[in-house]
Amino acid sequence: MLKIHKVSKALSNVRILDEVSLDVKKASIFGLAGPSGSGKSTLLRCIQKLETPDSGSIDYSCRVCFMFQDFQLFPHMTVLQNLVYAPTLKDKANAKEHIDKAKMMLKNLGIESKINDYPRTLSGGQKQRVALARSLMINPDVLLCDEPTSGLDVSTIMDVVSLLKSVNNIGVTIVIASHDLDFLTKISDRIVLLKNGKIAIDIIPSQTPNSVETLKGFY
Amino acid sequence: MSNTLPALLFVGSGVALTLELLIGGIAVGVLLGTSLAILRYMYKGICGNCIGRIVSVIRGTPLILQLSIVYFITPVLLDCKLSILATGIIAFGINSSAYVSEILRAGVESLPKGQFEAAKTLEITSCYMWKDIILPQVFVNIFPAFINEIVSLLKETALISVIGGMDIMRKSQIIAAEHYEYFTPLCLAGAYYYGLVILIEYIGQKIEKRKFYAKNS
Repeated sequence: MLKIHKVSKALSNVRILDEVSLDVKKASIFGLAGPSGSGKSTLLRCIQKLETPDSGSIDYSCRVCFMFQDFQLFPHMTVLQNLVYAPTLKDKANAKEHIDKAKMMLKNLGIESKINDYPRTLSGGQKQRVALARSLMINPDVLLCDEPTSGLDVSTIMDVVSLLKSVNNIGVTIVIASHDLDFLTKISDRIVLLKNGKIAIDIIPSQTPNSVETLKGFY
Repeated sequence: MSNTLPALLFVGSGVALTLELLIGGIAVGVLLGTSLAILRYMYKGICGNCIGRIVSVIRGTPLILQLSIVYFITPVLLDCKLSILATGIIAFGINSSAYVSEILRAGVESLPKGQFEAAKTLEITSCYMWKDIILPQVFVNIFPAFINEIVSLLKETALISVIGGMDIMRKSQIIAAEHYEYFTPLCLAGAYYYGLVILIEYIGQKIEKRKFYAKNS
């Protein structure tokens, strides 16, 4: 699905990624763990082509969408406009269908009452849901999530876990970069821990006893 | 005092040309300035440096010089006579474009980089990204500075009197020369300009109050 081969990247003469190679399976949830500055976000940005690797290659032939840590909703658009703007641009003829789909998605996410609200009026968890819905509106095959639980309380994190799992159940491959090891072990099929730009450990949580402790040992 | 009312009406008849120059100049300035700002942001190499140099030259030379160049040299180069209104709109528009482009550039630079990246990840093309995502946010942020530019340009339109434009300033000078009395006509001109500035500020405040969305998500 997604093949990363010996990717290296330096920013301001600091090596962020050092020949990282990964293979992400279709319809899986892939976790990227590691301390701050370990290269998790940079790797996601390279996959989305927001950064260009200095060397190595990233191969995929599917639609990828990125969910930002700070959501980056468009502040001058309502929740509905945020969701339907991009798909309607590509397919103006089916504008009505896009609106119906957006309404359905917001209903499923439990924020249908916020449909005509502006992002500034939403809580962190609500913005998270809108950002997720906006990403899903363009029907991605791979969803890249950068720190999706950052700044959220425990109950909202549990909601994010179930939301992402339901997205995964419809066949979307998910790659999550997070420093929240409890969250990653709960949700991921496989976790790779990056340290100093290199893969420190690669585990399958369901087959690894004390996954969190094992990962913590590499921090 | 008996001449005040006719003087008031005569000077007031220059408001039309002043407003035509202001509206035309701002329209050209916004279109050209926006294009320059976008090109400068998108192409930061040689193209960006060239645009930066052009902006620097326009901001670094007197407006009266630019007005004179458009009025006296353009007809020679293009073999056509420009009207005073066209000359004014072109000169004021070009001058304003440099300031508008700098105001816009600051506004674009102040937006989170993530807004550009979010547009990219949603596969929004560059044209629509600027039109629907970036510029609407930038215009909200730069609005007070933009009103300032309109007020500045309004006052600078008085330079059109140098090439014979019958604006507020020129008409007040005519009245003054006819009656050998400068105080009243010049005060009237000042009152008209200040009245227009008050009107622009009022409209600006009304528009600003309608900004119903947040600047940051």
